[in-house]
Amino acid sequence: MNEAELRAAIQGHRWLQSLRLRPDLVTPGLKPEAELQEEEAALLDPLNLKGAHVLEVGAANGAFSFAALRRGAARVLATDHLAWTLPGSDALSATQWATHALGAGLEMAPMDPRHLNAGFGSFHVVMATACFDQLFNPIQALRGIRSVTERVLLLETAQDGLDDARPLMMAHGRMMPIGGPEGSWVSGWGPNPPLMTQLLNDLGFNRILYRSHPRLGSARGLYAALLPDAPDGLLEGFHSPWISLTHPQG
Amino acid sequence: MAQWATLWYLRGMTLPADRLSEKDLLARMQSFHWWHSIALRPGLTTFGGKSELILAQEEEAFFGPFNFQGRSVVDIGAWNGAFSFAAKRRGAARVLATDSYIWNHPVWRGREAFELARAELGLDIEAKLVDPPDITPELGLFDVVLFLGVFYHLYDPIQVMTQLRGITRQMLLVETHSDLTNQARPGMVFYQGDILNQDPTNWWGPNPALMLSIFLQLGFTRIFYRDHPTLGRARGIYAAFLPEVEDSLILGFDENWLDLDVPGAIEGLLTP
Repeated sequence: MNEAELRAAIQGHRWLQSLRLRPDLVTPGLKPEAELQEEEAALLDPLNLKGAHVLEVGAANGAFSFAALRRGAARVLATDHLAWTLPGSDALSATQWATHALGAGLEMAPMDPRHLNAGFGSFHVVMATACFDQLFNPIQALRGIRSVTERVLLLETAQDGLDDARPLMMAHGRMMPIGGPEGSWVSGWGPNPPLMTQLLNDLGFNRILYRSHPRLGSARGLYAALLPDAPDGLLEGFHSPWISLTHPQG
Repeated sequence: MAQWATLWYLRGMTLPADRLSEKDLLARMQSFHWWHSIALRPGLTTFGGKSELILAQEEEAFFGPFNFQGRSVVDIGAWNGAFSFAAKRRGAARVLATDSYIWNHPVWRGREAFELARAELGLDIEAKLVDPPDITPELGLFDVVLFLGVFYHLYDPIQVMTQLRGITRQMLLVETHSDLTNQARPGMVFYQGDILNQDPTNWWGPNPALMLSIFLQLGFTRIFYRDHPTLGRARGIYAAFLPEVEDSLILGFDENWLDLDVPGAIEGLLTP
């Protein structure tokens, strides 16, 4: 692959994320590079990923998977469903070009998170960004995600119903530049923190931390959910604005 | 006895071969906890938590607009079977009553109670132990799928709605507890523990906008709604039709029903 081929490939794809592939070359993604960097820092800075096995659910163009590799993860498997499988979608091809360009050892597999089960493997850290936003059935998908999580689930999602103390979620929908030429209508949900706490707790996560999005505030939420087997030491990197939803005094 | 036989004949039933004496029947009835009050014989009605009057009002609200003559019907969450029996009496060619939680429950013993009612009524109704999350297309295709009072009892009702789509040939009829009825945007509330009616088996309260959204995403193209006949907006009744629906299934909707997928319909249902 020469530089001309790379630049032509970048121009020939629709990008969901703005990835810096060269010092002077950034993919023209729907999400700006600066916002991705802020999300990466908010989500991954609290953890030491050296040697970790990481699964990303809903990887889009792989921004957070590449970040996990840069941060020392021993194995990173990027998966996506709609963006990688809808007829006419080129997001997987775009991610493959980015992987080549970065020389990254990223594994990729189209995967519907509803179909994840323990037989798929086990990962120290599972990441799912824009999670509820793009899931028709997040309850089932969370169950699948839990089945492959060994220690920590990092989840970023749209939120809604913030003025109601009861656990709830509101249905959302938006056009995404995936699938056909005009894009596709993608349905999903915006849960509120009480619901996320409940659903994650019901799945066996016994320590749940939360912070609002670094740029968009409480319109989006970041969650770190730890399983009982995760050592307490993992919590040491979670400082303010992270708060514990399960141990408010802690 | 001749009077009995005439009565059973007129009701389109077959006379059970081994009829219990009234005393024995009463004893059997008293041995169960009933939810449905079902008249098994003149003067012998099961002692259900839901009265005959309310059940009659619900039956008319649920089934009044439809012609079940010759249709296949599956009742998901049949409990004591009142609506399965009603569907058969309204001319359904085939009725399959299913349940799991109540039929397996050591206190409710719903399957035994259902079997007693079925035998007494002499109705030709099939029964199968089916947990809604386990429903697959192997259960078969049914013209009418009844999902009455079950949605909110499921931890993952979205998945079960998807599975019900897979066994529906014409119409899915849903009755459910509602919440967020003051919101035009689709959503549903989660109930922790026994917050809703002191019942730990209650999980979710959807609003009409959400039910409409789910039906449309599952491929139903016409969705009609009405309030519950006695509980009003606290519970909703939804008739969702696939494009393949036969005109003859629908007798007509009265003024209690409204087409949910038209501009302003959701807004018109909003509570203060």
